Amino acid sequence: MKAGLEIHQQLATGKLFCACPAELSEDVAVSFGRRLRAAEGEDRAVDAAASLQAARGLLYRYEVVPSSCLVEMDDEPPHPLNADALETALLVALLLEARPVDEVEVMRKIVVDGSTTSGFQRTALVATGGHIDVRGRTHRIETVCLEEDAARRIGESPDGVTYRLDRLGISLIEIATAPDITSGVEAREVAEEIGALLRATGRVRRGIGTIREDVNVSTEGGRRTEIKGVQELRKIQEYVEREVGRQRVLLSLRDELLRRGASVPSGSQREMTDLFREVRSGPLSEVRRSGAVVLVLPLLGFAGLLKSPPGTEERLGRELAAQARAVGLGGILHSDELPGHGVSEAVVRKLRQALGVGDADAFVLVVGPSREPAEAAVERVAARARAALEGVPEETRDPLPDGSTRYSRPLPGRDRMYPETDVPPIPVSGERLDMLRRDLPEHPSARRERIIRQYTLPLEVVRQLEGLEDVEEFEALVQRGHAPGAVARLLTQDAPAAMAQTPEARPFSLDILDMVLAAAESGKFAKEGIPAVLGALAAGATSVEAAIGRAGLSSGPVEDLDAVVDRIVRANAKLVHERGEAALSPLMGDVMREVRGRRDGKEVADSLRRSIARLRAETATPPP
Amino acid sequence: MVGRQVPSMAEEKTSDPWPELRDLPMGRRVELQDGRGQSYVGTVVSRHGFLGERILQLKLSNGYNVGIRVDPGATFRLLPDSPRQVREEPGPQRREPPSLGASWVALLTTGGTIASRVDYETGGVRPVKGEAEILAFYPELERGGPVRIIPVFDRLSEDLRPADWVTLGEHVVGAFREGATGVVIAHGTDTLGFTAAALSFLLVDLPGPVVLVGAQRSPDRPSSDGPSNLQAAVLVAREARLGEVVVVMHEGPSDTQFAIHRGTWVRKMHSSRRDAFESRNGPELGEVDADRVTLGPLARPATAGPAHLDGPIDDRAALLWFYPGLSPVHARAISLDVRGLVIAGTGLGHIASSHLEWIREATARGVTVAMTTQCLGGRADPFVYATGRDLVSAGVVYLDDLLPETAYTKMVWALGHATTREAVAELLQTPRAGEFLERHAGVRGR
Repeated sequence: MKAGLEIHQQLATGKLFCACPAELSEDVAVSFGRRLRAAEGEDRAVDAAASLQAARGLLYRYEVVPSSCLVEMDDEPPHPLNADALETALLVALLLEARPVDEVEVMRKIVVDGSTTSGFQRTALVATGGHIDVRGRTHRIETVCLEEDAARRIGESPDGVTYRLDRLGISLIEIATAPDITSGVEAREVAEEIGALLRATGRVRRGIGTIREDVNVSTEGGRRTEIKGVQELRKIQEYVEREVGRQRVLLSLRDELLRRGASVPSGSQREMTDLFREVRSGPLSEVRRSGAVVLVLPLLGFAGLLKSPPGTEERLGRELAAQARAVGLGGILHSDELPGHGVSEAVVRKLRQALGVGDADAFVLVVGPSREPAEAAVERVAARARAALEGVPEETRDPLPDGSTRYSRPLPGRDRMYPETDVPPIPVSGERLDMLRRDLPEHPSARRERIIRQYTLPLEVVRQLEGLEDVEEFEALVQRGHAPGAVARLLTQDAPAAMAQTPEARPFSLDILDMVLAAAESGKFAKEGIPAVLGALAAGATSVEAAIGRAGLSSGPVEDLDAVVDRIVRANAKLVHERGEAALSPLMGDVMREVRGRRDGKEVADSLRRSIARLRAETATPPP
Repeated sequence: MVGRQVPSMAEEKTSDPWPELRDLPMGRRVELQDGRGQSYVGTVVSRHGFLGERILQLKLSNGYNVGIRVDPGATFRLLPDSPRQVREEPGPQRREPPSLGASWVALLTTGGTIASRVDYETGGVRPVKGEAEILAFYPELERGGPVRIIPVFDRLSEDLRPADWVTLGEHVVGAFREGATGVVIAHGTDTLGFTAAALSFLLVDLPGPVVLVGAQRSPDRPSSDGPSNLQAAVLVAREARLGEVVVVMHEGPSDTQFAIHRGTWVRKMHSSRRDAFESRNGPELGEVDADRVTLGPLARPATAGPAHLDGPIDDRAALLWFYPGLSPVHARAISLDVRGLVIAGTGLGHIASSHLEWIREATARGVTVAMTTQCLGGRADPFVYATGRDLVSAGVVYLDDLLPETAYTKMVWALGHATTREAVAELLQTPRAGEFLERHAGVRGR
């Protein structure tokens, strides 16, 4: 397999063509409605993806938030390109060793799904070439672009889509890699490395939705599919692996279909609504109540191939159903799942008879509210079934939370772009680049080497810190005088564990972490108590002191550990007498129950050892 | 070099390649080695005025345009592909005129771009012109009946002059004489308000609506307001029983509601918003909402006709915006060259007392000096302050609630119809096209 990534990272520099803040808002002031006219190409060729959306003549509603302005409403020309955003893109380009262009030209990329009020997305190519290296392999960078984010999709209805203007215009860097990735793990690691490099500029937005990836995947013998809009970096691996699996299933299905001589004759669908008038349950029960129409499409030689092959979750039936959904229907029923869904075996027999198909053949039922949408759906289902004879169709797929993907639309054709004449081109001088080079942020790979060396941390711990985006925090805490090992443990284990217990809690601030470490170091509680203190803080404790109290560690350090230990040792004199030194281990548990979080384990062990020795010395010496 | 047949294989240049590259025609494909280790393959696209020194603009195969500096050490080779121009539409330019009897609408075009076609190869934008091409671009225009397109000018609206108002008026009258139900005039928005006011005074006995319409956002974008404005204007021209000159444009930010403004009340009040046009000093005459036209009580009904043009104009007129510091010498110089002068005064219609002298001189010479308010809302009134009373004594005519621009177009019309200052002043103050409104409602809105 091979894969390439397109990474879109929001910048914290303000919007790209206006002075609005890059903030999302739930405060909707007013809304307005717009229609977009699909700008037709000069050659009258209509882009497949564009036509699917534009042909519907939808009314788009836009929600205006207090932080949006006339530029986002497409009621004012764009302001000049945000200089901070351009500088950030140039920094990223230099970090990638890409070659910036000499003059940046802003383009309009036609987008007719309503996600921009203008009908296009403004985008500019900033640099070409470059590379990113992951575990010794070089991945080529194709382009570094600067573009405006689209409006946020809020909801849809049959005659339109509602968007919110808060996200529209946020500055994005888009980094496209060449298809040099050869596995799902590598896809995730390349994405993480690019993410780390973007964060190294210190000018990117953080949090869910601020970075999005498109993943292009193709397998040998298959064709390219694009998984669009993955929001969680760590899921890339799963999406890629499942997509490779899906493509392999489709390819082996193709081989089987060809071996069987399968076919989908055109125009072979039949209306059979009457057969289903008595169905009382399942999706076909609506036929009885309404004017719904049932069309049946025979798929010759497809029997048994619409359900999942053993050991996989992929199935052709699901791909066919997606085509019916694309025209607004609920889905399909197919012969591999019948009888069932309220359809009796008798009805299935009648169906096969009426269609003139045998046991080696399959069929698909499409239920539409009227004939027209049902016909449209059948046409698409038939086309998709025919594509199965060729293997993997090129398409765009939506990532789903469970790691699978779903058909979304045909792969868009070449982007239709023309210059944004409202924004003058921006020269990028050699002097400017030299200045940026002099003050380039540390490359993540260089920083990794340095941190391993400087703080003697293992590589995997550094990678964990990177994955958590905590390297800056790590260095800041070490600079405040805490031990690197303790800080690393706090950031990679204790803090994430505390957050996992209380997912709604706000992340710990650097100052809080500093105070927790300082309190442990000064003996207010033992370092074993750190997880408990963090847990209390996550759960709402308002200060470190309060958290120590809530965690039950507030009585302070055990004043006289030796006294506690002696008491417990003497109460267990028989055990000590029988087991000698080896009594330490069971007694350790008893002592720790009393002093946990207030005294260090090693200290307790030392005290125990001494106390046991004392007791044994006393009992070994006969009374005078 | 240009136009020479070039073999597909390399023809490496050793001298400074810039002079040749600079002159390459749009659409030529080249491979450029920038001499700094990077090579680019792309199509030469139109240079625009802002490009820096030695910058070659290329469209790369991914669709992006980039500017690459061509140093003397750079090399290039031409790739075998013919230059590509923005294609002219080959389609038929004429078609059968609508049959008599059918209810048809005339669409007069005055220039600017009513629609544009984009060439994605070169980034060129070409205006859509000619009846067949415009109708092919806007098939929905003829949804309710035929539309006949009559090109009148091909100019930006800031380049139109008062004489052009008369030409437009003649075409409107011609269209009604041929049986048009209504007339739409597509017009640049910058001076659309002036033309609407001027036509209001020039056109008499209208048997149907005259609808001016424009676009605030350029037609080369999918979101242009042009198509929806035009469709609403055609609908008003076809269906509204109106006998006056109106402007139809967006009523708010949405593409679904349109306001019908009286030609003498309307003013462009924003440089870029879709709903830039507002009715001042009077309500909107009606609206178009979801393809339905509604008229308010003030709309003037269509007459039995025939339409005619109450023609002669005299453009020896000026419009003067007063401001603190306006030099009486400058103002006087203007007054020497005109027969009529409209002042946009402050507040209720005032100008600094240092100007009284040239005003007295001008009126004595027979120049009509009229006063309006630069507040763009409310009336000019000479009786509240002494300044106003002095100005009236000096011969200044107060034009009540006329917008300065409307007053100027009325001046141009009145100067063509009267010779003496007194007669011009009387024409100016006499209602003609519903331009004065006696009652300014206390509650804003229609």
